[in-house]
Amino acid sequence: MKFLYNFIKLDGLSIYFDFVIQLAAIPTAIYNFSYLNHYIDDKKSIKGFLAFFIIMIVATRLIVLSNHAIFFIVVWETMSLTSYLAMLLEKEKEEVQKGSFYYLIASHALIFILYIMFFLLHQKTGSWYFDRFNIGFADTYTASIILILGMIGFGIKSGFIPFHFWLPQAHPIAPTVLSAFLSGVIIKAGIYGILRIYLFVKPVPEIFGWILLVISMISAIFGVWYALAQHDIKRLLAYHSVENIGIIGIGIAIGFIGSANNLPAVEFLGFGGALLHTLNHAIFKSLLFIGSGVIYQNLGTRNIEAMGGIVHRAKLLSIFFLIGSVAISGVPPFNGFISEFIIYSGFFRTANELKNFYPILMLLFVVGLAFVGGLAVACFTKVNSIMFLGSERQPIKNFHLNLSDKISLSFFALFCILIGFFPAPFVGVVNKVLSLNFTRGNYSSALININWFDFSLIFISISVLILLLYFAKIKFENKYGHRKAEAWGCGYNRLNSRMQYTASSFADELNSIPKTILVYHKEVEVSETAYPVESKFESHSKDFADNKIVQPAINFIKKLIPYIDFTSQTDIRYYIGFIIIIITIYSLLTFI
Amino acid sequence: MSSALIEKIFSLIIILFLAPFFAGLVNKFKAILTGRVGAPILQPYFELMRLLKKETINATTSSFISRISPLINFAAMLIAASMLPVGNFKSIISFDGDIILFAYILGFARFFQILAAMDIGSSFEGMGAAREATFALFAEPIFFFSIGSISFLSGMTSLYDIYHSIQLTNISYEVFIIICSISVFMLAVTECSRMPVDDPNTHLELTMIHEVMILDNSGFDLMLYQYSSFIKLFIYAMLEVGFFYPFALQNYWLGIIIFVVGLLALSLSLAIVETITSRYKMKNIPQYLLFATAIGILNLLIYTFTNRI
Repeated sequence: MKFLYNFIKLDGLSIYFDFVIQLAAIPTAIYNFSYLNHYIDDKKSIKGFLAFFIIMIVATRLIVLSNHAIFFIVVWETMSLTSYLAMLLEKEKEEVQKGSFYYLIASHALIFILYIMFFLLHQKTGSWYFDRFNIGFADTYTASIILILGMIGFGIKSGFIPFHFWLPQAHPIAPTVLSAFLSGVIIKAGIYGILRIYLFVKPVPEIFGWILLVISMISAIFGVWYALAQHDIKRLLAYHSVENIGIIGIGIAIGFIGSANNLPAVEFLGFGGALLHTLNHAIFKSLLFIGSGVIYQNLGTRNIEAMGGIVHRAKLLSIFFLIGSVAISGVPPFNGFISEFIIYSGFFRTANELKNFYPILMLLFVVGLAFVGGLAVACFTKVNSIMFLGSERQPIKNFHLNLSDKISLSFFALFCILIGFFPAPFVGVVNKVLSLNFTRGNYSSALININWFDFSLIFISISVLILLLYFAKIKFENKYGHRKAEAWGCGYNRLNSRMQYTASSFADELNSIPKTILVYHKEVEVSETAYPVESKFESHSKDFADNKIVQPAINFIKKLIPYIDFTSQTDIRYYIGFIIIIITIYSLLTFI
Repeated sequence: MSSALIEKIFSLIIILFLAPFFAGLVNKFKAILTGRVGAPILQPYFELMRLLKKETINATTSSFISRISPLINFAAMLIAASMLPVGNFKSIISFDGDIILFAYILGFARFFQILAAMDIGSSFEGMGAAREATFALFAEPIFFFSIGSISFLSGMTSLYDIYHSIQLTNISYEVFIIICSISVFMLAVTECSRMPVDDPNTHLELTMIHEVMILDNSGFDLMLYQYSSFIKLFIYAMLEVGFFYPFALQNYWLGIIIFVVGLLALSLSLAIVETITSRYKMKNIPQYLLFATAIGILNLLIYTFTNRI
């Protein structure tokens, strides 16, 4: 047993990520009750899915707890494979086959990179145990290769641009329970990996901080911009994961810069923002995915252009979804703002401590992050208003919220509010993790010295102010009257639901700016006759990385395949011949 | 009572009561410049009182969003305004990093304003909401390249400290500050929906941004929207007037005088700009905003490079 005991180690970082996983897993599992009912009614077997789902959760927890490289790779593969198999719940659909295959390929590509990385670490230290992997940056060459491999390998899992191509393919087709877990937790395994590798090789040279900062900023900006152009709600949320991974990456990059310059305050703010955002993203992304799942169960569509007016059917759901949307946009008073604020403070602190040309560069990134926030506001006002507000674009027969939906949604919403209004204890936990794991005697109180009490006070006073105004409003309305009337239609009194603003028209002006990168194109068919017949409008956006890099690469490889086709023969004697040749080559090699 | 508390209460009273007055002042100046007598300066107060006594009507398609959005808007504006210094008084809310909270609280108000507009389910409001979302996005960098760059150069992260870190010692810094104030002025014009970006006076839906978003509101809701737009104008006025504080230097009464004179000068210049320019075409507005951003970036680069050599 002692042998097995060595495989697992609980340090601050592990426990923190384990907490994140567990926090997201429990309500997601509760939501399973209502989500899978739908399949049971259709007489579909869900045994396989449930088994894979449970194994996946266990494997994900073991990833963050493991202390042994081989064990890590085994549980990592288990997690990837079980999530792939669970994704195949609706395997008869073609899009499911395609999307899940993307996921499988991406997972396998990255495991190769991880093999090489761990072999290098083993070769360097002579051990398989994580706690003996602390090689530092003394051997710059090997350490750089390890860090780069780690950043690429785990970056594929996390979905940094340009390795994000599998996310928007895999998330929409996965069962909602799984996409909530994929987006909320599994991609965080990549973040955990990057932080772990950092702990092996720290302190890293500053250049890695800058590389990661630029990649993360690109991921954040274009992640949200792609999201703005989507009509499929789950695909949109998948792109938002790219954005949020970008924000987490920005935090880590600031931490790298701090560690390179030996500035514990910057390190604490950077890594602290990243860790807290990891938790926050797990919370609000699960909330949003589960919300979209509830809508899918009821309406049977993921296309937001076909929704509308849900607020009149399910007020509670729209409130929960709104809380999640405000939180993910980084708008106060909910949790997204808190972690973004820490990252902003990291920028300010870096500029202050390092002077020179740093203030200008940091200012550029601050503007970038503010730009991301603005885009997220545009995107989530679009999502909320098109899905929930206005009148029904397609008639809704009935809309039902189960108890398990309510429990899981309210759990996540509660945490969004709690972390937003009372950040101090959560920041305290992050601070503890950092002081245990990340710094060697260099403690800084930068994180807990932010006036968290002021935030609580301001947010509470906003709430109180709103409440007071609400009472005043009720009082005045009772006195002077309140009624509902038709919206003003510019003299036209037959407004119908098709005349509402659509999602594509809402986002059109913004999407037209980076047209080439978004691969955004519009198809307009206007009738030219005097008496207008039917007109048509469509707008699409395709993924740049997928369409311009991955697909051409695959096509290129396909073209090469005929050249090595001579190896695949039907006669077994050829294979025996190949084996003999290979054995001969190996035998000869031993003489050299 | 401590003097700090009195200062804060005084600031709050100034913000609440002077905000409509400032809007009235701008309108009065504009009327005089265009050769009209114009409404009395106190007209905004009368408007608010009138709206308070009207029936509240919501669209049939609207939901709870329309009902809470005016409240959120007003509360957010009030909190944002209380982060700014009035004269030499310490801001009501002031802590390290409040520049970020300031920008994001305004974003919070905008989020709900856009939602409330889309809540009506009419294309007019939708059009306004889409424009607001787009232009706000381009306005954000202007704020950070002006106030934010002063913050990064001085190392201060609280709005009060940022304004009080401005020292008129060398000529290149003075030029830098003056150009920053021009950026902020251009930002104020955008955010407060004044000419040449938006027209606060007409309700022609197809051309407007802010006014069309509140088209289907009335009574108490409209009153709060109007009041918060007055406060928003006042917020940007305070952002602009803040650039004059270095002249006051810890003297209470001088601070107040500069505050008042600054507001007068600003309202006059807003009125002049509105008189001599016409509203831009919608498609030119992003260019206007990018121009303001470019001014900010160039200004910062020029300042840093002249100081380095």
